[in-house]
Amino acid sequence: MAKVDLTPAFLIHRRTFKDTSLLLDFLTLEHGRIRLVGRGLRNSKTQIQVFQHLKISYSGKGDLKSLTNWEADDTPRQLKGDNLILGMYVNELISRLLHDQDPHFELFEIYKSFVENLATINPLSSHWLLRLFEHNLLQELGYGVDFSQDITGEPIDLSAGYDYQHQGGFVRSVAGKILGKSINQLLINDINNMPDMQQLKVCRDLNRMRLKPLLGDKPLQSRSLFFSK
Amino acid sequence: MIESLNKAFCALPGVGSKTAQRFVYHLLERNRDGGFELAKALVDAMEHVQHCHSCRTLSEKTLCNICANTVRDDTQLCVVETPADIHAIEQSGAYKGKYFVLSGYLSPIDGIGASELGLDELEQKLQDKKVDEIILATNATVEGEVTAHYISNMAKQFDVQITRIAHGIPIGGELEYADINTIAHALSGRKNYD
Ligand SMILES: [Zn+2]
Repeated sequence: MAKVDLTPAFLIHRRTFKDTSLLLDFLTLEHGRIRLVGRGLRNSKTQIQVFQHLKISYSGKGDLKSLTNWEADDTPRQLKGDNLILGMYVNELISRLLHDQDPHFELFEIYKSFVENLATINPLSSHWLLRLFEHNLLQELGYGVDFSQDITGEPIDLSAGYDYQHQGGFVRSVAGKILGKSINQLLINDINNMPDMQQLKVCRDLNRMRLKPLLGDKPLQSRSLFFSK
Repeated sequence: MIESLNKAFCALPGVGSKTAQRFVYHLLERNRDGGFELAKALVDAMEHVQHCHSCRTLSEKTLCNICANTVRDDTQLCVVETPADIHAIEQSGAYKGKYFVLSGYLSPIDGIGASELGLDELEQKLQDKKVDEIILATNATVEGEVTAHYISNMAKQFDVQITRIAHGIPIGGELEYADINTIAHALSGRKNYD
């Protein structure tokens, strides 16, 4: 590949590389996740930042290509406090679950709207925003199960309880903690249609169960950033 | 020997094999005295420089000069990312309190969490109740902001004032020439005009 010119991207992670350069992980619209070297970028006056909609150009042969140009497509988002940490958590998910240069057009849009919403959302809804992102990410990466019906093919009953069976789907159960209503709310995917606090926790645990086999033994580090004292 | 000296110089940032070769020949051919001096200074520094037991900056003694200075204000604690940040703040002469060096910032993806930054030591300091104000002077990057937020959450359980240094338009700088990140920061960090 020779050259990519001003493709939409988000910076997911940056680390210093050889004194004056940066090693940059991007989520791009056209080429999925990609790692680039930003030569001499470490000391540049305007720092390239995460959570900002960018356009990037890069070129090079071999595995490690170089960022040749970047511009910010909008004003920087001033994420604050816990929302900042939610954003870091999502970036860690992206860097753990995506394969390099495997394009996901849909996912780019999902991430974009997540970041845009995160900048303006109230703290109460931000966790629901996160649950929807996890859900969309899992469905998009092909790890989804059917949220419209249970494992036997019966439509989800909004007032019934369910258990989650990994990779199979939902099993109706009298003692099931997951309300049919919550399963439906994840399916509907509307930020304004949020479960109550208790079911929000159930959704958190559900997504945790769904993510666990994909993450393996290595826990997500950013979970430890949620200060628990 | 020449080979291994060349390799050793490559440990320096920005020095590749070519530059290393220039150093090697310069010292061997033209400046042996300088070479001996460099060798001795290096051994001394590598053997004796450690981290200050109180603030974690680089120091020849158990306590660095700033921590050992009884005139400085114990009630103010300024948290910075690197020893170089201390140097920068000291140059300004505007601060008379003490410091705490994180040696980095929180970076979960790279496995750098609270314990790698010595935050349990920092918590212990706050527990000791000498500190009235903790000044968060991490960089104005997203990573620096996350680190500041985490520390402020931790500090909230103690009776301590938490402040963040302002980042904004440099003195003598014109708004027109500032980049958008700086302007956004300067606006969000604005304070009452007095
Ligand atoms: Zn010290």
